[in-house]
Amino acid sequence: MSANTPKYDVVIVGAGVSGNLIAKEIGLAGKKVLILEAGLPVPDSREEYMENFYLALAKTPESPYPALAGRQGSQVNPVGELPKPATLPTPRATVLSLGQSPETSYLVQQEPFNELHKNDPNPPPPQNPPTDENGNVRGLQFSSTFERNGGGTSWHWLGTSLRELENDIRLKTKYGHGEDWSLTYSELQELWALAEKEIGVSASVAQQEPLEVVGLKYPPGYQYPMQAIPMSMVDQAVSSGVAGLQVPGMLDGQDDTLYDVFVTPTPAGRNSEPYDDRRVCAGNTNCIPICPIQAKWDPTVTLGKALDTGNVTVSYQSVAYNVAIDGQSATRVDYYEWSRDAGGNISKVSKSVSAKVYVLACHAIENAKLLLLSNNWKGIANTSDQVGRNLMDHPLYLTWALAPQPIFGYRGPLATSGIESLRDGEFRKYRSSFRMEIGNEGWNFSKGDPYTTTMDFIQGTNNSNVNPPPGGSGQPVRLGGLKLVEQLNNIFTRQFRIGCMFDQSPLAENRVTLDLDKETGKPNHVDGLGLPRPKVEYGLDPYTMEGFRMAAYVCSKVYERMGAMEFTTNGGGGVGDFTYKGVNYHYYGAGHVVGTHRMGDKPKASVVDASQRSHDVQNLWIVGSGSFPTVCTANPTLTLMGLAFKSAKSILAALGS
Amino acid sequence: MTRAIPPSIPILDSDIQDFADMSAALTGFQSSVLKPALDPVGLAREYYIFAVTQVGGTAMTTLLNAYRAIKAQTARQIADTLLETSGSSPSPQAQLAQSIVAMWYLGAWYVPGVLGGGGFAPPPLQVISSAAYTNGLVWRVMQSHPMGYSPFTFGYWSQVPAPLSSFGVNTGNGGGQ
Repeated sequence: MSANTPKYDVVIVGAGVSGNLIAKEIGLAGKKVLILEAGLPVPDSREEYMENFYLALAKTPESPYPALAGRQGSQVNPVGELPKPATLPTPRATVLSLGQSPETSYLVQQEPFNELHKNDPNPPPPQNPPTDENGNVRGLQFSSTFERNGGGTSWHWLGTSLRELENDIRLKTKYGHGEDWSLTYSELQELWALAEKEIGVSASVAQQEPLEVVGLKYPPGYQYPMQAIPMSMVDQAVSSGVAGLQVPGMLDGQDDTLYDVFVTPTPAGRNSEPYDDRRVCAGNTNCIPICPIQAKWDPTVTLGKALDTGNVTVSYQSVAYNVAIDGQSATRVDYYEWSRDAGGNISKVSKSVSAKVYVLACHAIENAKLLLLSNNWKGIANTSDQVGRNLMDHPLYLTWALAPQPIFGYRGPLATSGIESLRDGEFRKYRSSFRMEIGNEGWNFSKGDPYTTTMDFIQGTNNSNVNPPPGGSGQPVRLGGLKLVEQLNNIFTRQFRIGCMFDQSPLAENRVTLDLDKETGKPNHVDGLGLPRPKVEYGLDPYTMEGFRMAAYVCSKVYERMGAMEFTTNGGGGVGDFTYKGVNYHYYGAGHVVGTHRMGDKPKASVVDASQRSHDVQNLWIVGSGSFPTVCTANPTLTLMGLAFKSAKSILAALGS
Repeated sequence: MTRAIPPSIPILDSDIQDFADMSAALTGFQSSVLKPALDPVGLAREYYIFAVTQVGGTAMTTLLNAYRAIKAQTARQIADTLLETSGSSPSPQAQLAQSIVAMWYLGAWYVPGVLGGGGFAPPPLQVISSAAYTNGLVWRVMQSHPMGYSPFTFGYWSQVPAPLSSFGVNTGNGGGQ
């Protein structure tokens, strides 16, 4: 084969949701595809990942997935030490490294107050970041994390497969805030149907019908692939407990419409019936970090189908670092193929590959990084100057409570229902909208239970706040034997939580850049391959924070109406802590990383078009949730897969098939 | 993962049995759950060896002897005595007993006397093994299953679970047998 004849029609960077789906669709059409995956191969058996999970000290989302070939506790991944990104070929953002200095945090970020003072013998009182002249809080941590391995971050997605609302994608037109999407709702409905079939979504259209009040509509006669997942006992308790509850649109009168609060089952990418040669959900309560039986769809399912076409090849441990451009065309991808010996030494070989079409599908932050790294770190596909900007998440506000009677959490999928009825209304002119996810995992997310409460009653501490000193003074109790059993049973069977996720505003200054020295242009921090690392700047605007204020109010009303006792606490000075209107709040990352290569009709204001094709580079597609102009009110995976279907179609058209 | 190094002291089957019986009283579970007659998992032995490796044979023998001296009492009395639940601050021996309870409940080793802070449990030294995780008693206490290890079938979560008494708890008052 001559050097001028590409072996592949399409090169895809990244073997995650979008990359695998596009590879499958292109492969089915008889075209040749190479996927460059930065990280390790999909393991032969997920038992390997399960063992990592069982043995992990902290069962964080990343815990099953090795940053390297090496289990926690092995020589290359010692217990008690966080891996150093500068030594890793594919470092990733992890929960355990949040708020840490760049020595241990892959993402280079402003360190929170408490972290900066952690070695101070007389630390000043905790302090949250100040508000700037626009009312924005800057210098916050971007708290969402991601994987770099075969299958990608959606190994540990929850499975939530909600559709966006019509007003989610026309926020600007309808409410004068944020951006519109450059797709029609009816086109999205077609794309969602394709994604729901690929994933295998369990839901009932009839059960979703009450959400017509927020504009959720299905085409006539539409049916999901599988019957709905049953509501948990926690869901049932919240659903009956909130009956009749109404809340105003705004707390200060701008929208005093009363909105109904009600619970609906959540469409989920988990099998309620045998589907696609995979098992039925057994309620392992472990969708995040890992489904032990693959009853939950994950991207390796689609990767398997892609490989079955016979037209798709995956090159693992291949980190793309440059997309070469000639005029308005991409001409090759340069990448490092890496290996690591038993002693931890990394070796790399630089390689190149050419194709007719190039697809960047390596996560919203990594896509931005790769675009900015290209052309000798001067960047490509960026005449709009929007690459890396408008970084968004669903910042997640967590509240938790004890129900008045046992409701038996820690059972079933991690979440099976939510309150979706407050996702749309006139209030979106003034504040962020949110959905509310009801958790089935007690206070696991909230307090690190069952560990925290158990240790409290064994040791006589009160980290959980459910073991206060009897009579209000003295020491918390210490228990053993049947008394311990009965007290823990009493607490654990009543625990539940609600997570509120906000339609965060797109802000140009929330952005991913390369961590380069301003004067010398040299990287301040590199990864184990010598590549500059992503620097992330993040903050919240009043529109978004007013949503937090409302969410705190609504959660309290929900608990009050149920007769539940709320235990929510929000600290100060740590990762995710901020103050709004004099009240402390805390947000977590939802892993819904959005906005870094926004879609739009105008090349001057957006990076890709509605097909996720670069405005600047005619044979380059930049895909994934990074294309979302706004983060909307549904979890993003279903929609980002829908967009990947659209991209695959446009790529095939460009290839002339 | 760090494997427990077998201690230099001899390990007698009778010590393992006493350890299991003592653990039953401390945890509130039936001894036959912690150490079945035919034991496919062998956690009592694994935990005994692990604990001895951590704290030394002398501390363990002293605790076991304290148990042996009162083993005729009720499980409730044994637990309250060895854990010193009415005292203001637990002795090192009671802190070892706490770590043994935590080991059975959570499958991990918590260094005796190290308390949590900042709203969370103390960091465990180590998850003892994957079997230790999947056999943690805390999941029985909540009438459930270990997260990531469900023996139940589709839809169970929409129904009330089996009663607590069916999860191996020693609901009697008769001495941890």
